[in-house]
Amino acid sequence: MTGILQQLVLGILLGSLYGLAAAGLSLVFGVLKVLNVAHGELIMLGGYAAFWLVALVGLDPFVALLLIIPLAGLFGFLLYGGLFRFIVRHGEETRIKNSLLVGFGLALTLQALAVRLFTADERSITTSYRGRALLVGGVVLPLGRVLNLVVALVLITLLHLFLRKSRWGQAIRATSEDWEAASLLGIDVRRAYGLAFAIGTALAGAAGTLVSLGYSISPSIGLEWTLKALIVIVLAGLGSAFGTFVGGVVLGCAEAVSAIAFGGAYREVIGLLLFFCALVARPQGLFGRS
Amino acid sequence: MGSVSSGRRRVGTGRAAATSAALAILGLAPLLVTREDWLNLGVIFFLLVALAQSWNVMGGFAGQVNLGHAAFFGIGALVTRHLWTGGLAIPLAVAAGVVLATVAGLAVGMAAFRLRGAYFAIGTLALAEVLRIAIGNVLPQISTLPAAVIAAYRLSIRYYAAAGLAVATTLIVTALAASRLGLAMEAVREDETAAEAAGVGAFRVKLAAVAVSTSLAGLAGGVFAFYHISYYPQFVFSPAWTFDPVLITFIGGVGTIHGPVLGAALFVFLREYLALHWVDLHLLIFGVLFIAIVLLLPGGLVEAAARLRALGARRSRAVGPGPTGRAEPSQSSRWGESLRRRS
Amino acid sequence: MLEVRDLDASYGELRALEGVAVDVGADEIVALVGSNGAGKTTLLRCIAGLTRPRTGRVRWQGEDLTGLPPHLVVERGVAMVPEGRRLFGHMTVEENLGLGAFSARARPERQSTLDHIYEIFPRLAERRRQLAGALSGGEQQMVAIGRALMTRPRLLMLDEPSLGLAPRVVESMLTVLGEVNRAGVGVFLVEQNVRAALGLAHRAYVLEHGRVVGQGPSAEILADPDVRRAYLGPLAVES
Repeated sequence: MTGILQQLVLGILLGSLYGLAAAGLSLVFGVLKVLNVAHGELIMLGGYAAFWLVALVGLDPFVALLLIIPLAGLFGFLLYGGLFRFIVRHGEETRIKNSLLVGFGLALTLQALAVRLFTADERSITTSYRGRALLVGGVVLPLGRVLNLVVALVLITLLHLFLRKSRWGQAIRATSEDWEAASLLGIDVRRAYGLAFAIGTALAGAAGTLVSLGYSISPSIGLEWTLKALIVIVLAGLGSAFGTFVGGVVLGCAEAVSAIAFGGAYREVIGLLLFFCALVARPQGLFGRS
Repeated sequence: MGSVSSGRRRVGTGRAAATSAALAILGLAPLLVTREDWLNLGVIFFLLVALAQSWNVMGGFAGQVNLGHAAFFGIGALVTRHLWTGGLAIPLAVAAGVVLATVAGLAVGMAAFRLRGAYFAIGTLALAEVLRIAIGNVLPQISTLPAAVIAAYRLSIRYYAAAGLAVATTLIVTALAASRLGLAMEAVREDETAAEAAGVGAFRVKLAAVAVSTSLAGLAGGVFAFYHISYYPQFVFSPAWTFDPVLITFIGGVGTIHGPVLGAALFVFLREYLALHWVDLHLLIFGVLFIAIVLLLPGGLVEAAARLRALGARRSRAVGPGPTGRAEPSQSSRWGESLRRRS
Repeated sequence: MLEVRDLDASYGELRALEGVAVDVGADEIVALVGSNGAGKTTLLRCIAGLTRPRTGRVRWQGEDLTGLPPHLVVERGVAMVPEGRRLFGHMTVEENLGLGAFSARARPERQSTLDHIYEIFPRLAERRRQLAGALSGGEQQMVAIGRALMTRPRLLMLDEPSLGLAPRVVESMLTVLGEVNRAGVGVFLVEQNVRAALGLAHRAYVLEHGRVVGQGPSAEILADPDVRRAYLGPLAVES
């Protein structure tokens, strides 16, 4: 029994990162109507940035996180200005198709760059508390991963508050509902887009940092994390930061259950199959919000 | 109008001469060349041409971006390998691979065709990944040819098999493009609802596209199984076998016949040439090129070549837009134009 | 003072506006009438910056607005209530209204403007925390107008505000527009409901196939037999 509970708990801990990873992509997709399939590569780069700062410069991991978030945001802003800005000129259907293709090229480019800069080896960050774990009711809770969940939850809450309460957060929400109506109220839609993309990338960077802290990274993890984020978005829908977080945790649990039932090797399969079924169940796309 | 058609004929003969020369060189290569790695390179080139052409049938002509192409390549390879090493003659084994790949393709098509555009793409990607993971778990051991086969192995035979594959695929795709089915596919690509209204059974057309595309991918897989001495079964399901053809097709010119060939040639050349200094540099270059092409030059190299030729001949665009408002089909990628037009 | 001169606009091959010229003073109510597809919405979109005209000029208080993006047009004091209201359905009434004061022009007086809007539309005050998508058609129209007024415009443009509304609601809306105008805001009203529009407006333009085919004081336009035949039905010509 504890074996199953243990798997579930680990699944929840991993799922919190799925949720964080998905939140960034969900924001970009919901606001810009752009499917950036290089999102996983952004997560990967965040992980490498963390690795570099912690392992080579010697910073504390959570200090590194505080640095990476604004840097990733800046990178996202530049990425929008240099690339995605041109995609949003078209209508929604063309945007999605073009962004899929451009994202594909971007993913390849970033991955090849990472292989060059960091080699193809797996990396992870060792910290003093990495080996430590809490023991609660017979279940082992790796301390690093528990901290990851806390950080992820904090970031999601901040995102939620930003979108609900702040002026630009509301502007972003308005833009995602009807960008023409938003512009008629004085909102510079291009700035809203850039801001949303920057925040999405910042969240990706944060997710990558946590991944390298609790697990491991290599240049090829991009596709896997993009798929995870897409699965969560399709399951949870757009429009709610907390909804996305819960969706991530649900995916983590589903994977744990699948691993228990069919063996660890099939862990990924359940998510992909759920994803496909959910997609087919709503072929009109993901923009039908509840 | 007269000068335009004679101009095109002139270009046509020039192109035919170049193509024949290239084919002659490729055809005689095993006799001229003794280095094995050149022949291996040729096999990979032919495989990529076949995969790109077959992907193009769905992605370029029918407008359905299928990111699970590797699955059908893999199924063809898996079935062929299994039957052939089990004792069946290679042509029959390959045929079986093709049949199963086509069946799988039709199954996926039926399930996934409710999805449009990008959702179809990520949906097929997810399915292909499921298959890859499953195969990796069910068949973890490496697949090596029996000793007797290895002893009798002749690379030149594999080379000609692959060359035949590439030629056959290209011819089939050329015939398809000119046929009524090909036109129906393009109608579906441009505007599925309009095509339906005009009496084109969109679903059946898409199924036909899937059948042709996946059967050719399965055929390529069969040739691969015939060629490669030892590999992990999971290898042939790797997404790289989808992404490389997609890259190649786009950079060459999606929706054209020459595009996949040009793209494959450039891809293989760059990969070999750059491998010494920076292993994945060819991917970096192709990634950047890909983005540039999607945004700026949707017709790929074929369109670039056509524009250069038009510049060189200093011919004014007397070849104006046709009744449908598009430029001459042989000179640009209609898929690319629809990328820009639809907004 | 809004001045539009020689405005040409097209959607691909389709000519939507041809040589259009209109004037709207900051103290008057001007109506624009015409049948479906005449180009009325296109004209408003060109002025508001949502659509780029092919040629022509849009001047507002001496400044050239042509080709400016919408958020800059709003900063200069020209606001538009688009056709179909286009509220942010997943946000509350108060959030919708609040976003109207996003611009630098309107932000300093956000609270006082909001209080004023709730005075004009007391029903909205009651529903301030409800999701905009849950309101009735008439209430949504109030939010749409209130939202545009939150931008503190000197010129308010409305595209078919009476569409889908009951006559009584239309009446009260027109009353509000009259009050808004008396308070110092110019009104440019696009309407298919010709009688209602001309009842309120001082002057009117008639748009047909992208061209201005008539203009003058409302009473004149209303009395014009061609106008009456086209927009008020065959029986109206007699009366």
